[in-house]
Amino acid sequence: MNYKKIDKLVFISYKNDSLDQKKVNKISALLSKSDLKKYINGLKLTEKKKSLIISSPINDMDLRRFEKLFPNKKILFKKDPSLMLGVRIVDNDIVYEFTLRNSLDKILNHIEQNYD
Amino acid sequence: MIDNDKIIGELEKKLMTFGGTSKTQNVGVVIKNTDGVIVASGISRAVMGEKVIFKNGSIGTILNLDEDNASIILLGEASKIKEGDTLKTSGQMLGIDVSEELLGRIIDPLGNPLDDRPKIKKGKNMPLEKIAPGVVDRQPVNTPLKTGIKAIDSMIPIGRGQRELIIGDRQTGKTAIALDTIINQKSNKKQVICIYVGIGQKRSTIAQVIDRLSLEGALSYSVVIAACASDPASLQYLAPYAGCAAAEYFLEKGKDVLVVFDDLTKHAWAYRQISLVLRRPAGREAYPGDVFYLHSRLLERSVKLNKENGGGSITALPIIETQANDISAYIPTNVISITDGQIYLQTDLFNVGIRPAINVGQSVSRVGTSAQTATIKSVSGKLKLELAQYRELAAFAQFGSELDPTTQKQLERGKRLTEILKQPQYSPLSENLEFLSIYAVVSGLMDDIPLESFPRFEKDLHEFAKKRYSNVLEALSTGEKPTDVTLKQIAKLVSEFKKLFE
Repeated sequence: MNYKKIDKLVFISYKNDSLDQKKVNKISALLSKSDLKKYINGLKLTEKKKSLIISSPINDMDLRRFEKLFPNKKILFKKDPSLMLGVRIVDNDIVYEFTLRNSLDKILNHIEQNYD
Repeated sequence: MIDNDKIIGELEKKLMTFGGTSKTQNVGVVIKNTDGVIVASGISRAVMGEKVIFKNGSIGTILNLDEDNASIILLGEASKIKEGDTLKTSGQMLGIDVSEELLGRIIDPLGNPLDDRPKIKKGKNMPLEKIAPGVVDRQPVNTPLKTGIKAIDSMIPIGRGQRELIIGDRQTGKTAIALDTIINQKSNKKQVICIYVGIGQKRSTIAQVIDRLSLEGALSYSVVIAACASDPASLQYLAPYAGCAAAEYFLEKGKDVLVVFDDLTKHAWAYRQISLVLRRPAGREAYPGDVFYLHSRLLERSVKLNKENGGGSITALPIIETQANDISAYIPTNVISITDGQIYLQTDLFNVGIRPAINVGQSVSRVGTSAQTATIKSVSGKLKLELAQYRELAAFAQFGSELDPTTQKQLERGKRLTEILKQPQYSPLSENLEFLSIYAVVSGLMDDIPLESFPRFEKDLHEFAKKRYSNVLEALSTGEKPTDVTLKQIAKLVSEFKKLFE
C-alpha cells in the first residue's frame, strides 16, 4: 500500500479531532504487518502535528497565553531545568528557542568557530 | 598572540545580537541510514543542498526532498548515525572556507587540513554550488595558458578560461600533462594559482603528486584538494565543486586560476553510487539521468571575466580515463561535448616512445589560435600542415611501394617533427625555447641531424642559445611575431651550434 492510501486511512481514523477507537481497530485488523507500521507512523506524525510541547525550567507556567497563540494545538508542558531561563516551544519539526541555554550555546559556538 | 581586549570587545558586540532574539530551528529524526545516505523525517523547511547538522556534530547535505522525508548524504563516518538520531537544518548551503592561507596546503573537500601543518584560519565562505557567471560578465578566451609542452602549446593551445579535457587510458600520462602545466606556471609574470583536485585517487598517488609539486617548488602557489578512494562517495562527489569554489575566491580577486580535476570518471562513479543508494532511476551504464548536468554545471564555472568584473579567469583541465581507448563511452562523450577541446592520449603512442603520447589527429582546441601568441602562431600553422601531410603519407608509405624524392622528404620531415615534439616529464619549456626547437625543424635547419641525436641536440641547443644568444631568446619572449632579423639570427645560431655538436 502506498503512502497516499495510508494517509487517507489516517485521515478517516479521526472523528471530531480525536481518534475513533472503532475505526482504528477495524483498519488495523485489515492491514498487513508492513502497512500497519506505516499506519502507526502516520498516526504518530499526525498526533505530533496536532500537539505543541512547551518546555520551561519553572513549574507554574501560564499556558493560556500559548493556547491563544496556537488555538488548534493540544498543548503539553514539560519541565526542563537545563534550559536555565526562558521557554522552548516545539511545534512538530519547528523549535522556537527563547532560553538562556540557547544564548550561551550561541556564544560558545561563536568562540569555537572563530578562535583556536 | 591575539589581543585579549579585542576578543572581549568582539564578544560584547556579538552579545548584542544574542539577547532577545529567538532561534528557530527546523529539526528532524533519522529514519534510516544506508551506507552514508540518510533518510530523515521532519525538516519540513529544508531546501535542496542545505547543510544539516546531526546530534553528534556530523554534517550532511540534502540531495532529495520528498513529501514526507528528505535524503541526506553524510559527509563523515556513516556508522555513527543510527535510527532515531535527531538532526537540524543550518540555514546555510554547503561551502568551503577559502583564504590565501590555503596556498601550499592539502585539504579535504570540506576545507579540513590533511597535512601535518597548523589549522587553517577561517576565511571567506564560498558556496560549493554556484551558478556560473553569465554571458555579460564574460569575455572571449584570448590569453594563452602555457603548458610548457611543445605539442600542446603549438598545436592544441589552451587559453585562460578554457576547459580542455585530457583523455586517455590508464598509464598514458594524463596526470603528467596536468602536473607539467602546474609546474610551468612558476615562470609566469602574472601568477596563476593552481588547484589540483584528486578524486577517488589512491593516497599513494596523491602523495606522489604533492611530493613532485613540492620538489619543483610549485606547491607555494598551489592548493591540493583530495578525496581519496577510501573516502566516502559523498566527499568524492563534492571534491570538484570544492575545487571550483576555492578557484572562485581567487577569481573574485582578479587572479588567474588553473583547476585540474583528476579525474571526472571517478567523480561520475561516486555520483552513480550515491544515486543508486538514493534509488534514483538508473539510465545508461547505470548512471542517473542528470550525470550530464553534474559535469556541465561544474565545467561551466570556468570563465574568463571581462575587465569590469576583475578580468580573472578559471581554466579547467578535467581528466577522463577511458577503457581500451574507447572515447565513445557515456562519460567521455559527455565531457567531450561540454569542454572546449580535448587532448587525446594513446597507449600505442606511449609504447612506441612518443611521450607525451598525444594523438594529434584526434586532439583539438576549439579556442584555436586566439589562445596563442603571435610568436608561436607564426610557426604552428606550418607545423600542423606538415604533420597532417606526414600522417597521410605515412599511411601510404606502409604499403612499401617506391616513393618519389618529394614524398620521401616530407616523410623525413614528419619524422623529425614527431621527434622534436617528444618531451621528458617535468621539464616544461618556456615559449622562446619551444619556438626555437620547432622553428629549427620546420625551417629545415635540423634536416641533417640524425633522429637518434635529437633529444641531446635540442637540450644542448637550448643551453647554447641561453649562453650565446640571449638577445634572440629575449626577442622571442615578447610574444610578437619574430622579425626576419631574428629568424636569420636563429639560422645562424643553429648552424654555429651544429659545428660544435659532435
